[in-house]
Amino acid sequence: MSRVWLVIGGMAMATYLTRAPMFLALARRPLPPRVRLWLRLVPLAVLPALAVPLVLVRDGRLALGWANPSLWGAIVVFVLAARGVNLLASVAVAVGVVALLRALG
Amino acid sequence: MTFRDGVVASLALVPSVFVYGTVFGGLAVQAGLTAAQTLGMSVLVFAGASQFVAVPMLAAGAPALAIVITTYVVNMRHYLMAATLAPSFRGFPRRWLALIAHVINDESFAVAVARSRPPDPWVYLGSAAAISGSFVGGVGVGVVLGGLVERPERYGLDFAFPAVFLALVAMQLRRRSDWLVAVGAAVLATALALVLPGNWHIVVAGLVVSALGALVLPAEESA
Repeated sequence: MSRVWLVIGGMAMATYLTRAPMFLALARRPLPPRVRLWLRLVPLAVLPALAVPLVLVRDGRLALGWANPSLWGAIVVFVLAARGVNLLASVAVAVGVVALLRALG
Repeated sequence: MTFRDGVVASLALVPSVFVYGTVFGGLAVQAGLTAAQTLGMSVLVFAGASQFVAVPMLAAGAPALAIVITTYVVNMRHYLMAATLAPSFRGFPRRWLALIAHVINDESFAVAVARSRPPDPWVYLGSAAAISGSFVGGVGVGVVLGGLVERPERYGLDFAFPAVFLALVAMQLRRRSDWLVAVGAAVLATALALVLPGNWHIVVAGLVVSALGALVLPAEESA
């Protein structure tokens, strides 16, 4: 499993590269507004780009039917978190919903 | 303001950071990582969201480069925090700075910025100590607990990964333009996932849609 350690090392370097340069430069000038806006939008784009295909794509095909337990779980976690419910509580309820639907299905 | 103030101001966050670590530790072990790998990742990378991203990719055998680049993109938000924190640390030895940079995290940033503008370096350091300690401690507990659960998919635990990502997005959606970016990225990523090999749809959709947003939206929305 040295492949996993290789990936961890790469992740550590990539992440340090997001933390150290600006910090060590002791930047006097703030970042330009467009760059700030872009950096603020990146997580807003990356997180749905990660999550939604995990829910909707099964074996290379769209699984949009209501028989997909993950779809219900996704709706539950999204609505709860958007209404200000604590992150872990929202996730726990959604995981419970998915487990229940799988047990019933 | 002192180191102690930073620790105390972070205590309210300690339980949820600890549990977040526990959930990560448990899920990572179930996904096939060893205890050492799970703890090693948490200490060396120390960025929860990107670790949640990497574990299912590792389990699915995604290419190493895809995982590393995805990690980089998920963590690009650190540039903003590092730039805001940096001026407060003028006068600190550079060797320290290289270490302190590693513990930049969302929670401590929020605590330090909420207390004073510009943020106080010692409050920030106290908070970072409390947050990193509780995260890594939580992972340690999770590694032990995760080894006890068999067939995690029976309990829907595999769904915890997309659930964490969706919750993180939902909490950040404030403006109409935020929704536009999030929905646009979701649609593009899903379409790309059907045609692109590996997990490249994440990085491509994430970068393309956020860059389009930054070009098109009014720049004052950067706050």
